[in-house]
Formats: sequence, C-alpha cells, structure tokens
Amino acid sequence: MANILVVEDDEIMLKAIKNILSKDGYNVILAKNGKEAFDKLEHADYDLVLSDLMMPYANGLEVISRLRNDPAKKHVSIIIVSSVGNEETITEAFRLGADDYLKKPIMAGELLIRIRKLLANRTVRHSL
Amino acid sequence: MEAIRNFFSGGSFWDVVGTFYQGAVFLYGTSLLLAYAMLAAMSLISIRNYMKKNASVNYEVIVESPLAPGISVIAPAFNEGVTIIQNVRSLLTLNYPKFEVIIINDGSTDDTLEKLIDEFQMIQVDYAYRQKLNCEPVKRVFKSTNHAYDKLMVIDKVNGKSKADASNAGINVSTYEYFLCTDVDCILDKDTLIKLIKPFMDQETTKIKEIGDPCPECGYVHIQEVHKRVIATGATLRMVNSCEVDEGLLTRVRPPVRFLPRFQEMEYIRAFVLGKMGWDLINSVPNVSGGLGMFDKEIAVMAGGYDPKSFGEDMDLITRMCAFMKDNKRRYSIRYVPITLCWTEGPTTLKVFGRQRSRWARGLAQIMTTHRKIIGNPRYGRLGMIVYIYNFLFELLAPIIEFTGILFYIYLIITGQINWPFAIILIVFVYTYSVAITTMALLWDQVTFKYYKTWKEVIGLCMMAFLEPFVYHPLIVFFSIKGYFNFITGRKHVWGNMQRQGFGTAQKKKP
Amino acid sequence: MWKDLSDLLWQAYEQFGFLPLFIQIALIFIGLAILATLVAYGSILFRRWQGYVYEKRVNFITPKIEDMITEQVLLNEQLGSVPVDDIEFDPVPLSDKIYKKPWVRQIVIDVLIQYRKNFRGEVGDLLRKLYIDMGLPKDSFDKMKTLKWERKIKAVMELTQMDIPISDVTILPLTNSQNPSLRAAARNAYIQLSKNDPFKFFDIATEPLLPWDQLDMFRIITTTKDIQIPNFSRWVSYSTNKSVVSFCLKLIAHYDQKSAIPAVMDLLNNKDHYFRADAITCLGKLSAEMAEVRLVKIYDHQPLICQIEILRAVGQIASGKYLEFLKHEFSYSSNFDIRMNAARAIINHDSDESRVIVNELMNTTYEENRIIIKHCLNPLIK
Repeated sequence: MANILVVEDDEIMLKAIKNILSKDGYNVILAKNGKEAFDKLEHADYDLVLSDLMMPYANGLEVISRLRNDPAKKHVSIIIVSSVGNEETITEAFRLGADDYLKKPIMAGELLIRIRKLLANRTVRHSL
Repeated sequence: MEAIRNFFSGGSFWDVVGTFYQGAVFLYGTSLLLAYAMLAAMSLISIRNYMKKNASVNYEVIVESPLAPGISVIAPAFNEGVTIIQNVRSLLTLNYPKFEVIIINDGSTDDTLEKLIDEFQMIQVDYAYRQKLNCEPVKRVFKSTNHAYDKLMVIDKVNGKSKADASNAGINVSTYEYFLCTDVDCILDKDTLIKLIKPFMDQETTKIKEIGDPCPECGYVHIQEVHKRVIATGATLRMVNSCEVDEGLLTRVRPPVRFLPRFQEMEYIRAFVLGKMGWDLINSVPNVSGGLGMFDKEIAVMAGGYDPKSFGEDMDLITRMCAFMKDNKRRYSIRYVPITLCWTEGPTTLKVFGRQRSRWARGLAQIMTTHRKIIGNPRYGRLGMIVYIYNFLFELLAPIIEFTGILFYIYLIITGQINWPFAIILIVFVYTYSVAITTMALLWDQVTFKYYKTWKEVIGLCMMAFLEPFVYHPLIVFFSIKGYFNFITGRKHVWGNMQRQGFGTAQKKKP
Repeated sequence: MWKDLSDLLWQAYEQFGFLPLFIQIALIFIGLAILATLVAYGSILFRRWQGYVYEKRVNFITPKIEDMITEQVLLNEQLGSVPVDDIEFDPVPLSDKIYKKPWVRQIVIDVLIQYRKNFRGEVGDLLRKLYIDMGLPKDSFDKMKTLKWERKIKAVMELTQMDIPISDVTILPLTNSQNPSLRAAARNAYIQLSKNDPFKFFDIATEPLLPWDQLDMFRIITTTKDIQIPNFSRWVSYSTNKSVVSFCLKLIAHYDQKSAIPAVMDLLNNKDHYFRADAITCLGKLSAEMAEVRLVKIYDHQPLICQIEILRAVGQIASGKYLEFLKHEFSYSSNFDIRMNAARAIINHDSDESRVIVNELMNTTYEENRIIIKHCLNPLIK
C-alpha cells in the first residue's frame, strides 16, 4: 500500500489523520514539524505528502519547493491541509507545485477520495 | 535617645545642610518606594485583566483570515554570518498569514550577505527605493527566486554605525502598515505577530469628528480623529543564555546559570512586569524596548522614525510618536503584553555589560535633555506629567542621589557623626523592601505563564533578589554614573558595531 | 552579626513610641516587606504545586479522552453507511465513572472543540452528537448562568462551536454588552446559531464592531453552512454604525455583490476620508466599471489616501478607458506613492494597449520612473 507522510504540528490532528488513513490501509508516517519532515523525506520514499502550512522550522511552502526541486522526489504527490484561507498563500502553494489544497476544517471522506484519486492518477502516469 | 538629639540639634551650617539633605533624601526615597508599591498593584490589575480577557480569545482566527493586516518584520544584521541562516529561517516560520521579513545587511564585513544569497537563492532586483526616513544609502535589494521564500527581502546598505539607521532603511522599503522591530539574533515566539497585532485590533477603527465649515479649497469639512489609536505594542523579553535552542527554535526555557545574566533576567522581569504592565493600566508606558516592538508605520514615519544619533533610540522614537499625537490633538495608547515573546542574549562579561549599561544611561540623559520641554508640561498630558516626571526623578536622578547618598554616609562615618542604630534600620528597610518588590514582580510573572519547568529554577531566580542590592545594583549605579559622565563630556565612542560584535562573539562561543 | 541585627530590631520594637516618625515608618515597612516576601514565596510554590497536580491529571486523562473519541467517532464503523443522527455510541466507555467529574467533562469539551476545528462533514456532526449524548450542553448552559463574564464567554463559545441553539432572549441582550469580549462572542453566536435572521443584530448594533471581532465574524459568516447571505447594501445605506458599514463593505467585496455598487457609490459623498477610501477599495474589488467615471472625476479633490485607492481601483476595474489618466498621473505627479500606484494600475490592465504604454513610458521617462516600472513589472516583488 502507498506510503504517506503526514506533516502537521497540531498533535490532535496528526493522530486523527493517522487513524483515518491507517483505517483505509495506508502506511502512515508522521512528522511534527518541517525539520522532521525533511529528515524523513531523506530516509525513505513516499507516494504522497500531506502537509500543513504553518509549522516550526520550515513551512509547508518550503516542503513543496524542496520536493519539486529534487529530481528524485519530483513525482511525490502533495496535498496541503491548512487553516490558512488567504488566497495569495493558496495560489502560492499551487504555483510551487502542490496537487491539492484542503482548508481546515476538513471532511474526512473528501480527504480519502482526493488521496485515492491522486494516487490513481499517478499510477496511470507512471505506466504510460 | 541621645542619638536622636544629636541628630537633630546640630548647630553649624554643615549640620543644617546635612539635616536638610537627609530629609530630602528620605522624602525622595519614600516616594520612590510608594511609587513601586503602586506600580506593583497596578501591574497586578492589568496582568489579571489581560489574562481574563485573553483566556477565551481564539488566536487562530487571524491566521486563516483574509482580513489580517500586513506586518513587516524588520531585523538589522551586522556580521551575524554564523547564525544568520537559522535566525532568518525561524523568522520565516512565524505564525501569521500576511507578513514580510526584511533583513538589513548593515555593511557587514563578514559573509552574512553571501550566506543569505546562497541559502535563499536570492537575486538583485530593481527596487524603487524611496527615502522616507534618513539613513545611509541602500546599495542593493535582493529577493528570492524561490517562491517558498517570497516573504523574504534582503537589503544591503552602507554601515550607519547604529541599529537606528539600519531600522530606518528597513522601514523605508517595508510595504505593510505595521512593522515589527527586532534584532536578528533574538529568538521570537512563533505567535509573536499574532499576540502583538491583537491590541491594535482591539481599538475602535478610525472614527472622526467634523470641525468647522467646509474648506473653501477642497470643499470638504475638515475632520479630526477622535478614536484612541494604538501606536505601538511590546512584550516581555527574557535571557536566552541557558535556554535550549534548536535551529532558531526555543525548546526549553531556563533561567541563566551564570550570575550576571541571571541578575539581568530578574531585572528584565521586574522592569517589564512593574515598569511596563503597571504603566499600561493608566496608558503611560514610557518605552517599547528595542528588542521587540510593533509600531503603526504611518505614525512612526510622521514622527520621523529612529534617530541614528540617539543612544536610546527606542525610547526616543516612542517619545516622538506620543508627542506627535499630542501635538496634533489625537488620542493614542501604547499597549503591553505580559507574555514573553522574545529571548535575547544577555552580556556575560562585565566589560560588555558595563558598556551596554553606560550606553543606556547615556541614552536616558540624552533623551531627558532633548525632550526637556516635555518634562512636567501639562500640554503633553500623561507623557509630560507622569512618564517624564517619573523617569526624570526616579530613573535619571536615582543613580546620582544614591551615589551622593553613599558619599554622605561615608562622610558621616569618617567624622563619627553617624547614628548607627538608625542607619542600620534604614538600610534594613530599603533592603527588605527591595527584596519584597522584586519577589512580587517574579510572582506576577509566574501568574501569566509557567515559564520554568522546575520550582528550583524559580527559587534560584528569586534568590537573586537577596543578592542584588549588594552585587548587581552597585554595578548598575556605577555604570550609569559613567554613562552620565560620558554624556556630559560628550565622549565619542563607536559603541554600535563593537557592542554587537560582542554579542556575536558571545554567541559564536556557544556550542 | 545576625544576632546584633535582631537585637537592634527588637530594641527598636520595644521603644517604638519614642522613635522619630521616619524610623517608625521604616520599621513598619520592614515588617510589611518581610510579610509580603514570605507570602509571595508561599504563593509561588503553592501555584506551582497546584499547576503540577492539575497538569498531571490532564496528562493522565487527555489520552484516554482522545482514545475514546477516536474509537467512537473517527473510527466509527457506522460512519458513512448510517445517517449521523442514527448512529448509536457504545454506551460502555461513555458511562465510565470518570466522565461524571466536572473537570474531566470540561476537558472533554475542550478536546471535542479541538477536533471540531479540524473536521467538518460527517465526522464533525458526529462529534457534535457525542457532545449532546454525553449531556455536555448542560455543563455549558450552567456556565452561562454565572455572573463572571469570562465564564459566560466560555459558555457562549462552546455552544457556538458545537452548534447548539441559544434562545434569542438569552443572546440578543449580550450582543450590546458593555464588555467588548462578551459582546463579540454573543454576536458571533447569534450569527451562527440564529436560523431565521442571523443578521438582525446589524440593525440594532450600537456598540462598535472592533477589527478583531470582524475577523471572527467574517470567518463565521463565510464558513457556516446554510447561512442566508443577505444583500449587505441594506446596511451600507441605512446603518448609522460606521464600523458595521465598513464591515459590510468587506463582505460585499468578498461575496462580489455587484448589485450593491450604487449603494457603495453613495458613500463617495461621505465626509469621512477613511470611509471614502474603504468605499473606493470596495468598488475596485467589485470591478465596478460604472463607478470608474465618477472615481476619476472626483480624483482631483481627494486627499492622498483616497487618490491612491482610486488609482488601485482603476487598475482593478481595468476597462482601459482611463489609461491616459493613469499615464498622466504617472508622468506628472510629484508624489512617489501616486506614481508607484499609477504604474501598477497600468500594468494591472494587462492588455495590448497597456503594454504599449508601458514600453513607451520605459523609453521616454526619466530614470527614477523607469525603476518604478521595473519594480512593478518584477514578479518577485509583491
């Protein structure tokens, strides 16, 4: 099953997302801040990264830019989950290469569908 | 009882002078102590008000709101090459939706600028720079080509030998309506911007009153602002010396282990709790410290920005902003937040510490002279009648009076005129009182937030109150007098860069 | 030395009546200061001990509560297959003795609110159902009855966050309370919870709407589902409360209510500069082409803040009719900010015509203006 890295500084949300995704059979790895995220990205391969925007050490935008500028990790799908509703920030996230943006509060069902869809698209792209 | 008679029945001229002096000093001392007691009471009220009011505030709402006002974070850097990258990174991760970080490379002679350009993929841009406030010329402006660092701007300017000069350049290029002034080596709490912008947004928005008939030139009735405008906010500072810091992020708060910075921590807490929160209650905050303060840019620019020649540029700016508001018959307020949002490196050697304190004292003397027309001037309201009178009497004169007091005591001892029992009672009085006030300030501070993990650390800090009158306080008096002396003789010294280099090397030594 | 000192103080105490006044005062203060120091130490230690005990309890109980919520809500098997209202919780964990203690119930409420901030949809609804099934609304309503305003606020916020209706009789008087924090909380509750006419209090609001309150209110208005969005021009025309009007301007811009343009244009006659500036900003965001003529016409008589807003608005409307006007302002104004905003407005047009003008200006104008154009064209500078 797909490996998903969840980056989020709110512990409640972190645990909740882990539970929801694990229930659907994904292999979930957690990171509490930008530094941990970079660390974990270094040491394993992921299919999808679910990231918050505002967190200590490095923000979500940096996570996106780091992934997109690394040829080895360019293919990783990125979904931003954040409470930031400021249009400029959202545009910025997409401009840097995020695949999707969910604004908190999120719907658990929607999150799962979007993840499934992104991963499915990716497999298609890969097999082409 | 013979002693008392001796004390009061002196005959000669010098005895009269002595008696008069003693009476005056006693009066001065009592009013100072009363003022402290009053401040302690006022600060307790304003801290409790703040805590009550903010317990239910949902601070996250501003993070997601498109209505959040923009804030420019201005941080001058001079030869900070060793730590610049992680400090800038930590500034970029502040919790706020709409802000920019402006780093002013104040003519560094090390690789500060190169490091920034490398790390954040910056390139020089054509920036339409306009000099609203005086400062040394800006040579180049850099922006990042990586959109993840859109918030960052670096400007390279000719060294102006002062933080004020560099800050002015930062204000000149800033785009938002509020700005936060800080030092690049300060460690900020991630919610700093949210907590400091809140008081600005707790005031009624622009409200006006019309005056007179329509103006013949423009056809509009002239107006006057009648709402109270918040022009600046500040928060508590603490020592970072023994805290655990990981890549610009504070992971564990601890009072400094070494004595000199620990004294400073105690002093800072007391100054912020009593000096700022107390005055906050009656809207008479004298100063927003240079380490951390947020300002209304429009007012700060109209008041003329920082004065590069001032030795106390932070208080100088606040004074001019207040005076500007008063001169234009507008109402203002300055708000303080009783939560520590900024951790700064306190000097650890007596040499650097002494230089810092002499500079502060010199700054105070300078401010009191340049703004002398404000002292006791009812036209300036609280600024003139409360802030300046208090600062003149109890901040500026205190070291002088204490110093002459000690000389007088020595004179009495030498000439054998001293009434030992009374003298000792008075000393015990002053001592116990100062310990009590400091301990109370530390208690108030603990009310707002449990900063330290163990009670031993708190007690360790409280113990400083007992030692302070013997060790730390005489040092402060000495350095203040030295500062006044420098002020009077007008001795020039290049404090600016030397001092910051001092900080820099202190930090470099840290593992 | 200590003995001498205490002997001295003791003697002074015995002869207190004979001593001069200032020594008497000093002695009294010595006593007071020692007392104050001891009390301060006592309370520091006591508070820390209290905090320590509470923290320990919270740390012990919170994971349990989180597990319970995860079990009952997040991982609920019926979620998705059964309508939320029909989902039954497992009664065994919920009837645990521990959930009878008031302080535990408070923590449950706080944790539930944390989850609600992160989840909406079915999970959010199920969290709400858990709150109701555990009988927690009663805890919140009880808090509402106290006299302490800070507790009232907490109650109002809990009920709002959990979407529990509060009767108009209870909440409406609070919307004009003298206490700004309570007032704000009550207003937000009213908007979110009143199903028939959530904006009624705009009509009766006499107290100002502080900028911070506007944040909260804006979030609630834009995120509450099934809220009826009225035409905000109603209050722009009739409200006498300026802060309500300026808030409505922001809402009009957000919902792009073009029908409000005439009402907003009426504000251009208002005498308050700041107010006019807000109205102009709003017209710009609405891309109100019909207002353009009027804006350019009044331009010359406006103070600087309004002039800059007009330039921005013309740039946003971007009809192309006033490029000459912008070009004129850019070339001849002596004010830097005006030139800057005029340049931006021209570039914002982003049409063939505007690009021609930009090129032409680049070739003809003097150095400082050229840098302004370069500055505005650079995508790296915002």
